[in-house]
Amino acid sequence: MSNSAEGEERLFELASFLAVSARGCVDEPHLYGPLRLIDALSRLVELSKHIPCVGSDPFLEEVRDRIENNKALIMHDKEKFISFLDSLVLEFSREIKRRAKSRP
Amino acid sequence: MEGLASLDFFEVLRSRRSIRKFKPDAIPGELVERLLEAGRSAPTAGNIQPWRFIVVDDPSTLGMIRKVSPGYFGGAPLAIIVCSDRDRSHELGGVIARDYLSIVDCAMAAGYILLAAQALGLGGCCIRSFSAPALKEILEIPGGVEPELMLAIGWPDEQPVKPPKLELDEITYHNVYGEKWRNSFE
Repeated sequence: MSNSAEGEERLFELASFLAVSARGCVDEPHLYGPLRLIDALSRLVELSKHIPCVGSDPFLEEVRDRIENNKALIMHDKEKFISFLDSLVLEFSREIKRRAKSRP
Repeated sequence: MEGLASLDFFEVLRSRRSIRKFKPDAIPGELVERLLEAGRSAPTAGNIQPWRFIVVDDPSTLGMIRKVSPGYFGGAPLAIIVCSDRDRSHELGGVIARDYLSIVDCAMAAGYILLAAQALGLGGCCIRSFSAPALKEILEIPGGVEPELMLAIGWPDEQPVKPPKLELDEITYHNVYGEKWRNSFE
């Protein structure tokens, strides 16, 4: 599969994931909403590899790895899952500041 | 010998985890057959056997399933969709069989399959986070048959820690609800 075709496939998969998740969130436990959002974030970072005008972003790739390693926490430790979300937001906040400072 | 067999069985129960990361290696057909044999050995109300199993190992079909199943993590090379034939349940067991017992039976079959997977060195995860209407469309499941559960099966690529479990005396009562269970063997 060419890079373009794989990118299109992943875009479609993400779109379908979001649509099905939107319906699923009506009936599923409320914490599954945050789970679907960070799962979508992870998929979005993966998808970005197939967009020629978007360069590699080490911060986002680290975020994707952390999501993949921690998303299953929701199944057995909801407090840890929420703490993970807190830490993710904090990391984004720090990264936002760092990027703002590094801009000319 | 009988004692040894029992120990093995309880070790399977004790060690099973929900697996959400899999190696890409295919599962031999012989092992898939054993999983299905385990599933059809499960208890079933009135011997109705409402379960219908759809074994999916075609990568293209698995890809379609993944698109409508947010709970399908880890790229398992095999999915078993446990469906209930609700019409048959209704015909043989009435409304309670159609609306309740068929789902319970499918859940027991799914449990048996997961335990068999563990005994064979495989891993699995029981999933309900999928769109049933989408799955019916993709897998051409007829009206009157409902996909109840999806089992992602494969060779484990993780060893999850044991999740916390409630203690027996937190979930068990003796003779009447609320009366503390005392283990008379201690």
